Amino acid sequence: MANDQIFVGLEIGTTKICVIVAEGRSDGTISILGVGETPSRGVRKGEIVDLATVSECVREALLDAEDKTNVEIGNVWVAITGSHLRGFNNRGIFILPEERDVIIEEDLQTVEVNAKEVSLPSANTFLHTIIQSYHVDGNENVLSPIDMVGSRLEADFHIVHGVKNRIQNTLRCLESLKLGIEDVVLSSLASALVVLTQQQKDLGALVVDMGGGTTDYLVYLDGAVRHSGVLAVGGDHITSDISIGLRLPIARAELLKIQEGSAIDPVDSRGGGITLKNDPGFLGCEIDRRSLDTIIHLRIREIFELIRLDIESTGKGVLGMMGAGVMITGGCARLRDIATVAEDVFELPVQLTRAKDVGGATQTFENPQFSTAIGLAKYAMAVSANIPEESLLQKMAHGLGGLFRRSSR
Amino acid sequence: MSTANINSPIRILVGIGNAGVAVLDRIAVEHPGLKGLLVINNDSESISASVVASRIAFPAGDMADGFLAIEEEFGASIRGAASVVFCGGLGGEIGSFLLPALAARAKADGITTLASVGIPFAFEGRQKRESAAAALGKLYDLCDAVAVIDNDRLAGGVPSTAAVGEAFAAADRILQFSLLALQGMLSTYGPVKITRNDLASVLGVQGAMTHFGHGQAQGANRLHEALEEALRSPLLKLPGKGSALKQATTALLLLRGPSDLSFAEVQRAVCEVERIAGDRCQIKVGVHAEAPAEASLEIFLMSSSGGAIRPKGKYVEEPPSIASRSEAPAQKAEDIPTTQKSDSSKAKPAKMNPVKQTQGVLDLESYQRGRFDKSEPTIVAGQDLDIPTFIRKGIKLASPHRN
Repeated sequence: MANDQIFVGLEIGTTKICVIVAEGRSDGTISILGVGETPSRGVRKGEIVDLATVSECVREALLDAEDKTNVEIGNVWVAITGSHLRGFNNRGIFILPEERDVIIEEDLQTVEVNAKEVSLPSANTFLHTIIQSYHVDGNENVLSPIDMVGSRLEADFHIVHGVKNRIQNTLRCLESLKLGIEDVVLSSLASALVVLTQQQKDLGALVVDMGGGTTDYLVYLDGAVRHSGVLAVGGDHITSDISIGLRLPIARAELLKIQEGSAIDPVDSRGGGITLKNDPGFLGCEIDRRSLDTIIHLRIREIFELIRLDIESTGKGVLGMMGAGVMITGGCARLRDIATVAEDVFELPVQLTRAKDVGGATQTFENPQFSTAIGLAKYAMAVSANIPEESLLQKMAHGLGGLFRRSSR
Repeated sequence: MSTANINSPIRILVGIGNAGVAVLDRIAVEHPGLKGLLVINNDSESISASVVASRIAFPAGDMADGFLAIEEEFGASIRGAASVVFCGGLGGEIGSFLLPALAARAKADGITTLASVGIPFAFEGRQKRESAAAALGKLYDLCDAVAVIDNDRLAGGVPSTAAVGEAFAAADRILQFSLLALQGMLSTYGPVKITRNDLASVLGVQGAMTHFGHGQAQGANRLHEALEEALRSPLLKLPGKGSALKQATTALLLLRGPSDLSFAEVQRAVCEVERIAGDRCQIKVGVHAEAPAEASLEIFLMSSSGGAIRPKGKYVEEPPSIASRSEAPAQKAEDIPTTQKSDSSKAKPAKMNPVKQTQGVLDLESYQRGRFDKSEPTIVAGQDLDIPTFIRKGIKLASPHRN
């Protein structure tokens, strides 16, 4: 097995840190060789708050992955999230020089640079510049403008930026482990790569990745990323709500959420009581199921409503253009009745989804918790593959996950 | 000494006696620009050392003569004022006599008259408390609203080993706080007002104890921080019973601060106070949002408890604070002071009542951010998403049944 076909994705999540070791296949799919995993400590709402502790957890996860796959890990692709990350759309314009009327590769780079000529907050830096579409002399939605004749090249991009210091904290954590960093990737972008098919991207889809500390979302329309966002609210908030509302210790609230939790509307709750048995340090009690359902339902509904409001703020009727509907992934996707709430809020078909077109360790890719980490491997494969530019652009034309470019940092 | 010169501000704070002078001195130091402060005392040393610009020295000798001597000067000092807030300790000669007398004078001029008064510690003796009760009865008749601070409420807040001076200083701080809270309530002239009637509905109940909360914060999470500080205030607690709001039938909530104070923030504050106070408590809200955007948001909370069950004039025989403490399960019968006995003629002479330390009740209800308490808040559309949604929406849940 050639080492250059092995891709390692690292997700430093709020509840877990996981390392996916995957092998790229020639047919564009990936095969998972193994997963290293450890509970996360020192991460709040998707961001590192205790560098030393997180470094130790990452080290444990890496060792676990190495043990399971017999692969020595030297470089990783890292997912990043956090409420500081923002996305917006912008158009870059480039007027070709008079002596030339054929568009060349450098013109694409220039138009991208021009699109980034925006005033970001001084503390922020660009994370991704994702191409949406090209326009040549008013000819809209050109897939590959290279070698086309024209005088005016325009390009629409979805640009993601975030606070530089916060991004660098992740990098510092990995550098302390003498780990090479291939690239830093927006979590929702990585997830979308493996949970959406190209057809779904073309039809229009919303991917909602609900993790422990954050809910990341990404909108695809006409095969391109149109919107992205991060809400620093996730499964941890549900646990905290249960703990406060039912006066339970956090660990007990987490267990209750997993075992009995449902996002069902309390009006439809089956009611009754749930008996919690005595444990050392915990006096057993009976809690009202309707109360539990109320706590979870209100939080989940609120998250979806905030996402809906944010998406609608980008343009009227955007949600109605999502022919493929809503895909929910991440750890919270396993919460009972979550799809029902999402259908009610978005008024779209909703699927609970996981990584697709992936082989190898079955238990891994069937678990929506690992969508981001698997997506990193897929992102890595698409970017790192030594594909000639023409082929890459051809793939872009067919949309193979390819409507992105490497981050500009 | 006769140096009163207040230039007729809309509101005048009058400190009477040693406690009143101490409180206004502190206010003058902490709020150097505040106008309309006046102190009156018969202690020449105290009055000459005061940092308050307007001072009236009450002459020694007969109290009635003294009052006649200063009445004109006092009348001139408060002329044109919309409201006068008196502050002082009752029980002593000057406080018990002069406070009602001056309140009557202000009221006769048609000025809104309020008072914030302290009731002596139990260890100061029965005679002082009787004198305080009599003066308090008069004040209720004369003033639009009276905030009453029973110094014995300090029982849980001051260590039993604390020096007497410390206990009095703590009492002064509470009095100062109550005065500022009253002043805050009165200064509402924003879009939503707290009226004199609102104040009277909370502070006009004879024998009731007044409870205050105050919080102040800036920044994106200002509402949450200010409200939490106000709700955590020890003056808003009943010994062994948690928040005094739970016992209140009416509470005043004032939000004072920057002009960008949003409707959602006001709504959230009201919802939160309503949630803690319960359905039977009526919340009267005042909003004054005209300060510059960088100003702090201040939240004042005020409620009273215990007055309805006490007949007028029976304060000493059945002091509210003692009654409430006697209901606390941890309190033993032998700890109840002799002043609690209903037949005052049979009462033994007051003995020194050591201030007992009581175990505090941690108010978890104001602790709403749970595990995110020390995290950077997630504020979206003016809402702190770290606070459970059901709390922000005011949804009540069934309590778990413990085995």
